[in-house]
Amino acid sequence: MDFSFFGDELEEEAGKKTIEEVGEGYRNIWVVGQTAHDALLPVTLEAMGQARGMADQIGVYVYGVLLGEGVEALGETMIAYGADRVLVADDPALAEYQPELYVKVVADLVGQYRPEILLLSATELGNDLAPRLAQRLNTGLMSHCTRLSIDMSERLLVGTFRVLGGEVFHTVVCPEARPQIATLQPGYFRVPYEDSNRSGDVKRVELNLAGQAGRLAWIDMGTTVELPPVPLRKARIVVSAGRGMGDADGFALVQKLAEALGGVVAGSRGAFDEGWIGEGQIVGVGGQLITPDLYVACGLSGDIYHYFGLQDAKFIVAINPDENAPIMKVAHMAVVGDARQVIPAMLDALG
Amino acid sequence: MKIIVPVKQILDPKGITVRRDKERIFINREEYIVDLGSKAAIEAALRLKESVADAEVIALSMGKPQADDALREALAIGCDAAYLLSDKAFKEADITVTVHILAAAIKKLGGADLIVAGRESSDTGAGQIGPRLAEALDYAQVTDVYALAVADGMLQATRPWAHSYAAVKAPLPAVVTVALEAFPPRYAHGARIMSAYRDWNVPVWTCADLGLDEAALAPLLSFRGESFPPPIEAEKFRGDPASVAQEVVMALRLQKVIG
Amino acid sequence: MDFTFPKEYQLFRRMVREFVENEVRPLAKVIDREHRVPHETVKKAAKLGLMGVPFPQKYGGMGGGEIGYCILAEELGRVCSSTATVIGAHIGIAAMAIHLDGTEEQKQKYLVPLAQGKAIGAFGLTEAQAGSDAAAIKTTAVRDGDQFVLNGAKVFITNGDIADTIIVMAVTDPTLGAYGGITAFIAETDSPGFSIGSLENKMGIRGSSTAECVFQDVRVPKENVLGQFGAGFLTFMKSLDIGRASLGAACLGGAQAALESSINWARAREQFGAPIATKQSVHFMLSEMFVDIEALRSLVYRTAWLIDTHQPHVMEAAACKLFGSETAHRCINKALQIHGALGYSRDYSIELGWRDQRISEIYEGTNEIQRVVIAANLFRPYGLRIPT
Repeated sequence: MDFSFFGDELEEEAGKKTIEEVGEGYRNIWVVGQTAHDALLPVTLEAMGQARGMADQIGVYVYGVLLGEGVEALGETMIAYGADRVLVADDPALAEYQPELYVKVVADLVGQYRPEILLLSATELGNDLAPRLAQRLNTGLMSHCTRLSIDMSERLLVGTFRVLGGEVFHTVVCPEARPQIATLQPGYFRVPYEDSNRSGDVKRVELNLAGQAGRLAWIDMGTTVELPPVPLRKARIVVSAGRGMGDADGFALVQKLAEALGGVVAGSRGAFDEGWIGEGQIVGVGGQLITPDLYVACGLSGDIYHYFGLQDAKFIVAINPDENAPIMKVAHMAVVGDARQVIPAMLDALG
Repeated sequence: MKIIVPVKQILDPKGITVRRDKERIFINREEYIVDLGSKAAIEAALRLKESVADAEVIALSMGKPQADDALREALAIGCDAAYLLSDKAFKEADITVTVHILAAAIKKLGGADLIVAGRESSDTGAGQIGPRLAEALDYAQVTDVYALAVADGMLQATRPWAHSYAAVKAPLPAVVTVALEAFPPRYAHGARIMSAYRDWNVPVWTCADLGLDEAALAPLLSFRGESFPPPIEAEKFRGDPASVAQEVVMALRLQKVIG
Repeated sequence: MDFTFPKEYQLFRRMVREFVENEVRPLAKVIDREHRVPHETVKKAAKLGLMGVPFPQKYGGMGGGEIGYCILAEELGRVCSSTATVIGAHIGIAAMAIHLDGTEEQKQKYLVPLAQGKAIGAFGLTEAQAGSDAAAIKTTAVRDGDQFVLNGAKVFITNGDIADTIIVMAVTDPTLGAYGGITAFIAETDSPGFSIGSLENKMGIRGSSTAECVFQDVRVPKENVLGQFGAGFLTFMKSLDIGRASLGAACLGGAQAALESSINWARAREQFGAPIATKQSVHFMLSEMFVDIEALRSLVYRTAWLIDTHQPHVMEAAACKLFGSETAHRCINKALQIHGALGYSRDYSIELGWRDQRISEIYEGTNEIQRVVIAANLFRPYGLRIPT
């Protein structure tokens, strides 16, 4: 399909109307995609699925946008995942992420084509890029959206995101400024099916990066940081061991699970008596009263002396072979099984 | 080196209970605190100040008159100066308006070598202030920083990138946003706490002081409503370890308890 | 009438609470078990200016006055009575004596390092034969040229073995009795002749040291007379008076902790099919605790305000100590009952609180003495002088 007339039409329009006219003249839904290792990121596919669904609702086109070096070939993949047209900015200058360069490229394209909606993923790159881009375009940004929809009566993008530690959702719209930009929180949107029968147009855009260099120098892509330890009373995620873990090897599984979840290790009085944890890691009567968002009790019976310490935990997961153990009655997720087997399986599932 | 830290005052979440079953937010105790992102930013700025000769840290807060307390706390923790940007005209401000106001204040202060903000605020978590400010001021930007140093007019930062951490360099002036968990805040010295309220001054800058046109303060986003996740219902899982584990991990993700 | 704490005190309390939860609470049981002073905590507190809360900033203090000091005492008392005792004796009676009665030179030389936490203070009054009957002390101070020579032994001295500076009450004229014959001195513990005798093996506050301090021909320069010569009794009375308010504050913290623990336990513990929080017997105990605590809170902070505004406060301060210690006693006792057998277990903090609390009715003037002090002051306007 040949879309070349489209740009001409818009340019004609622009000459007749003031650019700043609100809402008018902005059409189509864009997805700024991300790639790695010669493939589109799963988050980009999620955004594509969402864009396609909304575009079908309003009756507009989906444009994919790719920036980088050697990414042109992935334009076809974006078509297969729902794009009608893909604009590819393929240039060595874009091989590494540079905030100002990426903003310039996308902003220039936006100025040229005027999408009504622009979607990015709330990835490391997206979180860095989207606000700067929105500021350049003097438009609103709904960040970390977990839900998007179209208000058909007003033709507005409706974005919902979490606040207050995820306990409350806020829903907003951007009534006048264009484009309406949103970043999508990874994992909240369905990945669509790849349809290699879809056809569309992949256009490599001409870039105007005259004399502009990015200000970031990426020095070392594989360094490490040492994070300060999180005290138990402040930990949001706690993985706790009871005597049911059996021995030091069993306890090591608990430590691995804590690491995989980004949490802190704790335990019952029994775990302390076994010598696996220190006194400062006891939860319950001999130790601390904690209020984590997630508490995973492994091989713990959870009598009152222990439960006392976690009664204000928001979400309790218990893994215990005995389904009548006290902890299983108060857990939000009671997993009947041997933690020594369930934890390794969980580690696999977590990836 | 002049370092400016935007500071946000929020309602203390410890005084708030969210009842999903009642779909309501109950404010049991109305107290205000400095948000955790701002505290991490102040900490990062103070560490930088200690590592270089001759640096000053200035705290700025856009808010209601009571945000004065947040700035007094910033002074007590170690900032050298603080300014409150407050005006009735700022009442409906969203993020874009806030950035507009902050940028005006920063310009009034003659710009900065470094702006340090939290990666996101601990209440709304939008994470937009840093990069927006960087664009408004045409500064370089590095977000989600876990380690930070300045030398010879260059900023060196370490940030998560592609399943690892990357070290990047950027020229000053720059905006950095810092990870909350990387900069645990220090305690304020008792004497500074006393002085913050008794001896020191927090000037208030109004819309007019900042030379802002009230017409430019219209928010771009419009609030449609709040909603709540469903109440947590207890579930039991049983079966072979592999399938049970899959179910549990999926359920945890569905419940948005883990990422 | 505005009963809210001024903002600087609200911020101060939040900072202290955070400090106490992070640094003091993890050590509370440890120092009791190991019978040691938490030096690491003292160092951290010093860095934040907490070892000199009530003293003016020009003397290295925090400038927080008695209100600020009571806030510190309350927050410490809520988590660890031992730490509260170590810091309390240092600030509340030792350094306080120099703050109240010291010359400018003495303040510069001794108060500044104490306020900064660079030196630790102790208050040497009590002797084997002189407890409530403080005037019966026998330690002597004999003039020799430009110095005084101290001889005697003090007992039950908090911080005695870790102090750098010790305020010593000594008899300078045995013929004159309490008024005129006793003088206060500032002594340095690294002076030749100063030694530590035995350390007490106490029921509670085992994270503080209570020592016998022996003076054998310890020489102090005449410049180290604290307050008026011969008026030592007044000097230490003044210091003890003010110290009582902050003691009440520490008891307030302890009582508050007992209430908080009881509420948390009552919510969690189920008996007869429901949490014990639903049982009226528990309601009554908790309500009584609340009433006592609120009354004590008002008493303590109003007294601190009287002190900070230089108004008469002797009766109120004695009331703080008297009512505070007895409130703490009742509250921890009720808490122990509510926790049942768990309260009796060494694994939990109620037992520690119970052992730690008991001394508060005895030290810094027994509760009997407090009653005598209050009664004496009740009759004073009528010209009736009752010796205390």
